[in-house]
Amino acid sequence: EDAEDNDVEDSDFADFEEFDSEESRERRVPSAEKHHSKQGPASDSKGKENINDEVQEEEGDEASVEEEDELEYSDFHDEEEFEGFEGGAPTGKSTPHLTIAKVPASAIGSRWDSYILEIMMVTGLVIYLTNFMMGRAKNARLAQAWFQSHKSLLEENFVLVGDDGKREVGTSGGEENPTYPLVKESEHIYTLWCSGRQCCEGMLVLLKFLKRQDLVWCISQLVRKQSDRLEIQFNLGQDDMDSFVWCIAQKKTAVRLVKEMYDLGTYCPERRLGEKFGLSSSFILMSEIPEALTSIVDSKVTATLNKLAHMVDYIHVSDQYSGPKNQGDGSSQTPSTEVKKVLICGFIVPGEGQAHDLTVIDSMKPLLQLSFYLLDKLKRFRLSKEGKQKAEKNRAKVYEAQMRQTHAARAEAAAQRREEKRRQEKDRMLQEEDPEKQRRWEEKELRRQIKKKQPKIKQLKVKSL
Amino acid sequence: MQQTGGPDPRRPEKIHRYKPIPVGTPGSPSDDATPDYLNVLGMIFSMCGLMMRLKWCGWVALYCSCISFAHSRVNDDTKQILSSFMLSVSAVIMSYLQNPQPMTPPWST
Repeated sequence: EDAEDNDVEDSDFADFEEFDSEESRERRVPSAEKHHSKQGPASDSKGKENINDEVQEEEGDEASVEEEDELEYSDFHDEEEFEGFEGGAPTGKSTPHLTIAKVPASAIGSRWDSYILEIMMVTGLVIYLTNFMMGRAKNARLAQAWFQSHKSLLEENFVLVGDDGKREVGTSGGEENPTYPLVKESEHIYTLWCSGRQCCEGMLVLLKFLKRQDLVWCISQLVRKQSDRLEIQFNLGQDDMDSFVWCIAQKKTAVRLVKEMYDLGTYCPERRLGEKFGLSSSFILMSEIPEALTSIVDSKVTATLNKLAHMVDYIHVSDQYSGPKNQGDGSSQTPSTEVKKVLICGFIVPGEGQAHDLTVIDSMKPLLQLSFYLLDKLKRFRLSKEGKQKAEKNRAKVYEAQMRQTHAARAEAAAQRREEKRRQEKDRMLQEEDPEKQRRWEEKELRRQIKKKQPKIKQLKVKSL
Repeated sequence: MQQTGGPDPRRPEKIHRYKPIPVGTPGSPSDDATPDYLNVLGMIFSMCGLMMRLKWCGWVALYCSCISFAHSRVNDDTKQILSSFMLSVSAVIMSYLQNPQPMTPPWST
């Protein structure tokens, strides 16, 4: 049996041996001869001789094929056929010269200089931030320069100069607030609060500079010129001023103020030219009681205003000041709105935001002195009897108009409340289990409806004589 | 209009402390709404940049945050400004991570 197994094993593997030999031959001999080796099964030793013979035959065939190509090729070499073709037979040995075309850089996309737009964006950001730093510094310098030049005048008039409402009075500030005593509201707005003077409760100076820190705004400034502004607001006590409202303003500002300010729009809507009162033609006057204006704006004030006309934007005196109307809902003033007595002066820093050396800022000192002069005159001025009556009448009329307006609103609110209550009662009744109660409620409701529909007759009781 | 050397106008007993004007009252210096508008605009642009992968939206959002920062008031809370900056920077970075190709100017397509 073992013998048979061996024979079987030998024969079993015989096929593979053949398979192995073919594979090795394939690797040695180029694929072109593969079909010959498959024809006859050969044993190992005999097979090798046959392969050598076959290889020689193959090379012989190839040689003959090449010779045929050359002969055939020579037929192609016909002068008439190929005019202007000098080249001889192609050698086939020279390596082809490949030229790599120049590919534009942006197509590749990985190199830095293709990110042109990104570089421009980043440069824009850097320029913006640089301008932000410079603009902020310039505004801070201007605020300090204004304070330094007016410091002596402020300290002559006020006990407290500079207060942010948090620090103890009299303690020197400066640690947390670098611009002390000026309080920085934003990069272009600084405020200064002074108090402790006769004729007023306090004075708030508002330095509204141009938005130099914003590059976009600087560009818009090239198109539309604007100037730095200074606003001085005095809060007056009850006895520091009588009851009247007037305003002197440049033409454009006057139109804006009448629209924006509730008290001007209500008490002195008519506008008159400044020339009638000896003022320059650029000014407009609005006054509730003429005597109040003529006695306060005396010759001295008129001369100063005419001299500084390019720096004075508006002067607003009012005992019913409640700030601008809130444009959102357009609702006008109600009796509950808090009113106060104020003197507000709006000034323009000359130079349209350009030349700001100390001389320009010092030239603004008379403006502050004018404000103090007006303040003292307001304290001393009292209305005549007729003026007083006229003022009282105006205020009463306005108060009634406001009450009527709010009355309608109050009535509406009351009606809504009643409606709400009745609806809740109805819901409660619907959920009520006891039919008896429901029936009684419906009767009551019915009686109320009938009574509501009945025409209202006044019943007069006549006593028997 | 020189101050004639009259009596001293100062009155220590009439000192009133400064009461900051409540934010948002019309006419107060903090009434300027530019920073708020630009903040919202910046948020919208950075959302567009993030979701629609538009690179220019991210850049515009970054500029809106810068301008809103320049107009910000001192008593504004810095969280608002910080969040709009972070959002716009993340919009720019995300749009470049998803597609590192450079922005193509509209006139070149």
